[in-house]
Amino acid sequence: MAVVLPAVVEELLSEMAAAVQESARIPDEYLLSLKFLFGSSATQALDLVDRQSITLISSPSGRHVYQVLGSSGKTYTCLASCHYCSCPAFAFSVLRKSDSILCKHLLAVYLSQVMRTCQQLSVSDKQLTDILMEKKQEA
Amino acid sequence: MAETLRRVLTRDGAAWSGEENTAAAGPPLLLLGAPGSGKTALLFAAALEAAGEGQGPVLFLTRRPLQSLPRGTGTTLDPMRLQKIRFQYPPSTRELFRLLCSAHEAPGPAPSLLLLDGLEEYLAEDPEPQEAAYLIALLLDTAAHFSHRLGPGRDCGLMVALQTQKEADSGDVLHLALLQRYFPAQCWLQPDAPGPGEHGLRACLDPGGLGPRTEWWVTFRSDGEMMIAPWPTQAGDPSSGKGSSSGGQP
Repeated sequence: MAVVLPAVVEELLSEMAAAVQESARIPDEYLLSLKFLFGSSATQALDLVDRQSITLISSPSGRHVYQVLGSSGKTYTCLASCHYCSCPAFAFSVLRKSDSILCKHLLAVYLSQVMRTCQQLSVSDKQLTDILMEKKQEA
Repeated sequence: MAETLRRVLTRDGAAWSGEENTAAAGPPLLLLGAPGSGKTALLFAAALEAAGEGQGPVLFLTRRPLQSLPRGTGTTLDPMRLQKIRFQYPPSTRELFRLLCSAHEAPGPAPSLLLLDGLEEYLAEDPEPQEAAYLIALLLDTAAHFSHRLGPGRDCGLMVALQTQKEADSGDVLHLALLQRYFPAQCWLQPDAPGPGEHGLRACLDPGGLGPRTEWWVTFRSDGEMMIAPWPTQAGDPSSGKGSSSGGQP
């Protein structure tokens, strides 16, 4: 990842990945750590994972993007490689005010990576370009 | 990218102590300076350096074709290296978006270095912070995709030049904060000289936590050739840091 998360978050995520491998669910101690680090975003992110709201869209080129179906019914685009989400909360709390490190959608993406559970969608290279461009037109 | 820039900057200076891993480009680097401070020249020097390493082509994005090729360091412009630099000129922010969004569709080998000159012009078209953030994120994502295509152990570096103004308005300040969040490594260029009667630029490279800040003195000869030397440190000069007194850079 070009932009790295704070070390404590990276560590927690990799420990969780190892723990989940063995038990297929997140042990309570990690849930507590998540809540400690991220507050209510943790619960919302876990909820998004449970509801299968995260889709990994990939193309034959290997390039991929995540889309998360938010609680409002709106779909947000997340770039995990560099830590970006198209939702207003990210723009406000993370970028503008630096209050938070992550929005719930990005956290949901990282959790779904750890738990290796998310919807998968394969599209053509051209379709992926359109998906990435769409975000530009939305604004 | 800080690594590649550092190699450019130290080649003319004291003996290079021999860095380990040339495949690691380092974190994305932001090059900042006022108009005429040598950003394009330094960007181009980095392009030549990377082209010479034989890791892959270099992609140089800028709004307008360069009026004249900066001389860079060294004696002559090596045509073999020049051939490895692909220039593209997206004329608008929308075109730049299109280029980045479709980067995975482009045929041919993945570049080992992605350079963008004049980011401020593209940001100026779309002052919305969310748009600016998306553009910056796409630059990083494109470089990450190229790194993935280059294979294990190899990285595509990213270096972006941004013109700063003496009087920064609030839009600029917001963009700068955004950029500093996404670009851990930065190099500031400003007119300065180590002594009276001298002229040139002071390049201050901050590799973003991977090493100490280092400074160089950059001058241009009348034939356009760029000369780089470590910024001379004086005893008791608090601003010079670990700059240059010893041979190798850490």
